[in-house]
Amino acid sequence: MGFLHHTFTDRYTQRNNWLTRIDVRVKLIYLLSMLIANLWAKNAYVSLSFLFISFVFLLTINIFPLVMIKNMVLPLLFAFMMLVVKGLHEGENEWISFSVAGYIVALKKEGILGGLQIGGKILGGVSLVILFSLTTTMSQLNAGLKWLRMPNTVLELMSFMYRYIFQLLNEVSAIWYAQRARLGHASWRKAIKSFGVLGGMLIIRAVERAERTSEAMYARGYKGGCILTCHLKPLERNEYICFSGMALFFPFLLYAGNIKIW
Amino acid sequence: MGFFVFKERILKRVLVFIAVFLLVFIFSGKAAYAMHITEGILPSEWAITWFAVSVPFLAIGIYKVKRKKREVHSYLPLVGMLGAAVFVFSCFPIPVVALNGMATSHPCGTGMSAILLGPFVSVLIAGIALLIQALFLAHGGLTTLGGNIFSMGILGSFSGFFAFRIAQRCRMSLFWCGFFAGVISDLFTYLGTSIELGLLVIKNGGSFFKATAEIFGVFMMTSQGVLCIVEGVIVGFIMVFVYKRRPDILLLLGIKKNAKPV
Repeated sequence: MGFLHHTFTDRYTQRNNWLTRIDVRVKLIYLLSMLIANLWAKNAYVSLSFLFISFVFLLTINIFPLVMIKNMVLPLLFAFMMLVVKGLHEGENEWISFSVAGYIVALKKEGILGGLQIGGKILGGVSLVILFSLTTTMSQLNAGLKWLRMPNTVLELMSFMYRYIFQLLNEVSAIWYAQRARLGHASWRKAIKSFGVLGGMLIIRAVERAERTSEAMYARGYKGGCILTCHLKPLERNEYICFSGMALFFPFLLYAGNIKIW
Repeated sequence: MGFFVFKERILKRVLVFIAVFLLVFIFSGKAAYAMHITEGILPSEWAITWFAVSVPFLAIGIYKVKRKKREVHSYLPLVGMLGAAVFVFSCFPIPVVALNGMATSHPCGTGMSAILLGPFVSVLIAGIALLIQALFLAHGGLTTLGGNIFSMGILGSFSGFFAFRIAQRCRMSLFWCGFFAGVISDLFTYLGTSIELGLLVIKNGGSFFKATAEIFGVFMMTSQGVLCIVEGVIVGFIMVFVYKRRPDILLLLGIKKNAKPV
């Protein structure tokens, strides 16, 4: 159960470096613009350049690229699935064909090329998101999303969930290890039943904690209103320069993404 | 011509490398997550379409939470805490039977959240969970968030909720009600993901039904088919466990009308 603690990418966000110091609104606008450019791209140039830039930026803030590579394993699995699906269903020119238990698998050239292009998009897009999450805290993200007019209810719930995920995870981990130590996961049947008890305990503890939290909130004067206090300083000259830079750069990204390779 | 043959040779090597890499990954005991469409896979038109489909459901969810939290002050902490609990539940490492436990998969959790919180609030919780996963776990994506909310949030929540209610109407025991909610919500989630991926081949003359059936078949034959049943059993056990230990929770959430023996 400990795997999630190590996988969450926000453990690097508390560091003080040039990327964490950038205003979250600037980072959000850059992220969204680049994701749109990545989505619209008809070649892999733009996507792969995003991947390259992300790696370089990570190196500048002393984060080893393996952190990003580890997080990319799952997206790569999906990319491979898309490669196979597209290879099987798109195009005319057969490239490789073989038979598996009477089912003829014929991969087509056009589909494979399309699949590889999607692979580039996945790598580019995921690397941008990882770079953002490695340099932005949850409270900064909340402030940025509030600036983008995300409803307060969503932000409140997100903060609540994020705040208590780790606490509940710790409690569940303790129960899980205790179950394992007492052979609660020795066989499949036992494991499923143990997971049921674990899930049940999780729900009970969540409700109990919710009761305690609401009492504490009530004691502090909560009346069902907004609980978030997101402080956003007024935009300064540097931020305006960054926004203008992206406004000028964005058409170029769209143009570069439309250059045909194959 | 010579250049094209050279390119083909490189492509074949890339494919072999990816296949070997994925095999190593699958057998390395890592968690297998397959139900979220990753960043960059959906083209712009489908990304926008799925966002447009998901927004009304999210809006109703937000409205319901907003209205209820004004009436019952403890509602917001309760939803946030149960959302965190469902998020943690969705991280349970369930061993994949097809791979003899060498890899693990994880439950969706939307069936359970729909039972506990109702389908619309469950869609909202799923949306927030997917946003957190996309940003901090590189699992899913921001441009594919709409598509993932449609499959996991909307289809998963509503199918799970209605399966639970229908099973209750048929006077089944609490275990079987939970079981069907878990199984059906999982099946619909994977069906939704398969449909979204299957639709991608239409543009280039591929067969939507064939592609969807193949993707769904691959999901079911690898880890997810058994996982549906396992999640159903676990949700059933959870419901029974909570009912035995704290029946007032199920009464509070409106899941049970009276406290009869299980």
